[in-house]
Amino acid sequence: MVNLTIDGKEVKVSKTATIYEAAKEAGIYIPVLCYAKKLLPYGACRVCLVEVEQMKGRLIPSCTTPVTAGMVVTTMSDEIRKVRKTVLEFLLVNHVVDCPVCDKAGECDLQDLSYEYEVVTNRFAGEKFDLPKDEINPLIERNMNRCVLCGKCVRVCDEVVGYGSYSFINRGFETKIATAFDRGLNCEFCGQCVSLCPVGAILPRPFKFKARPWQLKEVNSVCGYCGNGCTVTFGTKDNEVQTIRFNDKTGVNDGNLCIRGRFGATYVNSDQRLTSPLIRKDGELVEASWEEALEKVTEGLRSAGSSAGIISGARLTNEELFLLKNLAKAVGTGNLDHSGGECYKGVTEGLHETLGLQASTATFPQVEKANAILAIRNDFYETHPVFGMVVNQAVKRNNAHLTVIGDKQGKLTRMPHARNLQHKPGLEVNILNAMCRFLLDEKLAKTDGLQGVEELQEALADYAVDAVTAAAGVSADAIKQSAKELVSAENAAILLAYGLPYTAYSRELGLAAANLALLTGIAGRSGSGLYLCGEKSNSQGAIDQQILPAAGALGVSGMLKSASEGKLKALYVTGEDMLVSYPDKGLVEKALDKTPFVVVQDLFLSETASKADVVLPAASFAEKSGTFTNAERRIQRLHPGIKSPGQAKTDFAIFQALLTGFGAAVPATEAAAFMALAATTPGYEMVGLEMIGDQGYVWGGETLVPEIRNLVAVTGGKALEAKYQLVVGSALYHSGTTSVHAKGPMSVVSEPYIEFGREDAAELKIVDGQQVKLKAAGGEISAKAKVDRRLPKGVLFAPYHFGSLKLNRIYNGQASIAVEISK
Amino acid sequence: MFKEFAKGLSITLKHLLPGHSTTVDYPKQKLTMSPRFRGLHRLVPTQTREKCVACYLCPTVCPAKCITVESAENEKGEKYPKVYKIDLLRCIFCGYCVEACPVEAIEMSDKYELANYKREDFIFDKERLLK
Ligand code: SF4
Ligand code: SF4
Ligand code: SF4
Ligand code: SF4
Ligand code: SF4
Ligand code: FES
Repeated sequence: MVNLTIDGKEVKVSKTATIYEAAKEAGIYIPVLCYAKKLLPYGACRVCLVEVEQMKGRLIPSCTTPVTAGMVVTTMSDEIRKVRKTVLEFLLVNHVVDCPVCDKAGECDLQDLSYEYEVVTNRFAGEKFDLPKDEINPLIERNMNRCVLCGKCVRVCDEVVGYGSYSFINRGFETKIATAFDRGLNCEFCGQCVSLCPVGAILPRPFKFKARPWQLKEVNSVCGYCGNGCTVTFGTKDNEVQTIRFNDKTGVNDGNLCIRGRFGATYVNSDQRLTSPLIRKDGELVEASWEEALEKVTEGLRSAGSSAGIISGARLTNEELFLLKNLAKAVGTGNLDHSGGECYKGVTEGLHETLGLQASTATFPQVEKANAILAIRNDFYETHPVFGMVVNQAVKRNNAHLTVIGDKQGKLTRMPHARNLQHKPGLEVNILNAMCRFLLDEKLAKTDGLQGVEELQEALADYAVDAVTAAAGVSADAIKQSAKELVSAENAAILLAYGLPYTAYSRELGLAAANLALLTGIAGRSGSGLYLCGEKSNSQGAIDQQILPAAGALGVSGMLKSASEGKLKALYVTGEDMLVSYPDKGLVEKALDKTPFVVVQDLFLSETASKADVVLPAASFAEKSGTFTNAERRIQRLHPGIKSPGQAKTDFAIFQALLTGFGAAVPATEAAAFMALAATTPGYEMVGLEMIGDQGYVWGGETLVPEIRNLVAVTGGKALEAKYQLVVGSALYHSGTTSVHAKGPMSVVSEPYIEFGREDAAELKIVDGQQVKLKAAGGEISAKAKVDRRLPKGVLFAPYHFGSLKLNRIYNGQASIAVEISK
Repeated sequence: MFKEFAKGLSITLKHLLPGHSTTVDYPKQKLTMSPRFRGLHRLVPTQTREKCVACYLCPTVCPAKCITVESAENEKGEKYPKVYKIDLLRCIFCGYCVEACPVEAIEMSDKYELANYKREDFIFDKERLLK
């Protein structure tokens, strides 16, 4: 700690603080333009100049100068005022005065400062910039005439996002921010640069000319897409979410968002939304009243009783899931499950058998301080992009050793010094086993207090590093080195993503990762952690609420199978488009056809909904209150920003009505439901709604200590012998099937594609955009080809979000699919 | 006392003589308003479009909240007011909108004959304001 005086006020701050930070802590205002909390100090704009008594004679930039003991700082004087005003005058020499049409006006730092420092005339004359605007890409408009060269966009894209789109080009007055070769922007479109630009040089195109900042109402809520659980701030007007605004005051994401969070929330305004209940009459779905629809549903479920099946999506709030579980009880069925049957088995079964837990053991911010990180499934940044940014920061700021186990390359593998264990599809478990085996053989493993060490050692006989390297196609050194790094690091993290397109080996992967976490001592150690990250915004909540089959009852796959045999009398699906996103379309189709009574509750008339007997219009995440639990166990609150269209109701209200129909007890409000669920959910017992602040509340604490430490042997996969094989996954720009209704993501990736590596493409003479056909057992799919550098020879990739691809005709949950290619 | 009374009366009588009346024979006869008179608003046109750039300063500054602006982008990529409406029943003719406008796109004319029979007729949309 260091003592100093700022404007006559005694201030005590940590010795790593800068003068600016010290002043801020003491509540003293210093203007800034190029400073941003989450970026490294830069000192480009000179707006923050202050006087320091010990450094008389010149003014000191407060944002880059560290404090020293006894420093005496003055933040305002006539001279400082004059200098700051001159700085602004310089900036305004070439700056176009577009404020009346500039979307930034009203929240522009330059405008605010010009007002504050009364820059009404300019002593300097010069030509205004007249550079062409970049409006080529769909999401981000760049108008460098308004740029003040603060470098925030360059820095955030590099330091936080890890993409590195921009840099400064030219010199002197000609300096400007540009992409490589000054071409149009073509990047991840996360919009981080948009949120950091202090002026109107980088703006969100979808919001263009929609409203003035002061007309928007701000509502903080939680992103409805993935399990990262970023807090978002809606800017709403006219009952529409107009834009997502920058907010680094709530949540753990520091204002960071990915393309889906920043540009993908607008599906809630879609005119395709369902606005009234639909009931099938003479084969047609026709509009009906809520009374009629609910009556029908109650009747159908009641007569089905224990042969009813309930399948839920993982984007319902905890409160809604709680009611759903009660509904299952009221109906008298144990057939209850969420999101795709197999996909979350890594957490529910794998972790349970080894650690006695069903959640990640640590929180996201801890990863920033990790020394070694193992990311399993390299496209982690595609499934949980903002967590990917945390990994980037750990690597760049902290020199963390990063190892990626994955079947294709991605942003993580391109990071400095990243070790890339690119393997043949389906062999992740083998590599993890080899690491465990290596640690045991070399006596590096931390085996104290572990159960089943010897059994594991025996069971892993076939997984000696050399044996695995040959089969998986990765280097032995890399495996050994990574294992060593993990076991010797002070803080280490193992990350694993799970979701609908990754159902193969889900339980095995969970087990193998947990074994490794135990042997390296990562599980339950403070500062380290095993992270299992669910695909959807409330995947963890669904597991916590036990939206899982009761003992002896059917899970999703069981339900679908038994339904397809005509053994289920009713099927109730909420918030899932199973026909598009679940593996094995044929099975889902048959299940829906053979079940006499199908209810679908959704926002849109999805493919699944159009097969239902009753369709109930539900509300989106932007229209409800309640809580989500993210992949690090953080419970966060949602706040409604807009009203639902037409007669759509929240899932909460629908379940309330149904429960009343069954004569069951119903909590009156979300808050009451939370109290009730907290009392019965392990880990939530002590949590009150009032404890969930701006940062959310992590149940179980920052570090969750395993209840058991049980090593469980697990067999690896076998590489598929096929010339070409297709792996299924998710694409960064989309999330589940919801984002295909959102304009932002659709403007970047609007249709399905099949991705080829360069080598394969060259060999097959396939060019970007060409229509290709893939034949596999089960059918044929066809889409445009996309040629990229991520894939090894013989491996193709297709995202699962688009119904039109009919990918799940050939994808049945296997790790990879043997295919034949034709044009 | 009487003297003053007579003097006053004489002024009155003088004004009763023909040619001395201040009453205007409206509507046959109309006065020209002083230039600073605040009558009906007018949106200033340019050659191709209205001058207004839909900056929202006038609705923001308007104390009676009678101005509605909705901005949009035209084919040339410029910002323009898709909707511009003034509800004259609420307007208090303060002229703040004119003062706030950064591009001098709105002004107040000398038109004062604003009576109407229907409430709807007091809504002046862009077409009417551009006349
Ligand atoms: S960037 Fe700021 S100062 Fe520049 S035109 Fe836009 S609002 Fe005005
Ligand atoms: S949108 Fe994201 S990836 Fe693209 S330039 Fe901006 S910060 Fe970089
Ligand atoms: S574009 Fe914006 S963020 Fe980037 S340097 Fe210019 S003013 Fe700064
Ligand atoms: S999709 Fe996930 S990573 Fe992206 S903003 Fe939403 S919660 Fe964050
Ligand atoms: S202040 Fe002027 S430019 Fe702005 S909206 Fe009103 S009339 Fe249009
Ligand atoms: S904020 Fe300190 S130099 Fe820009």
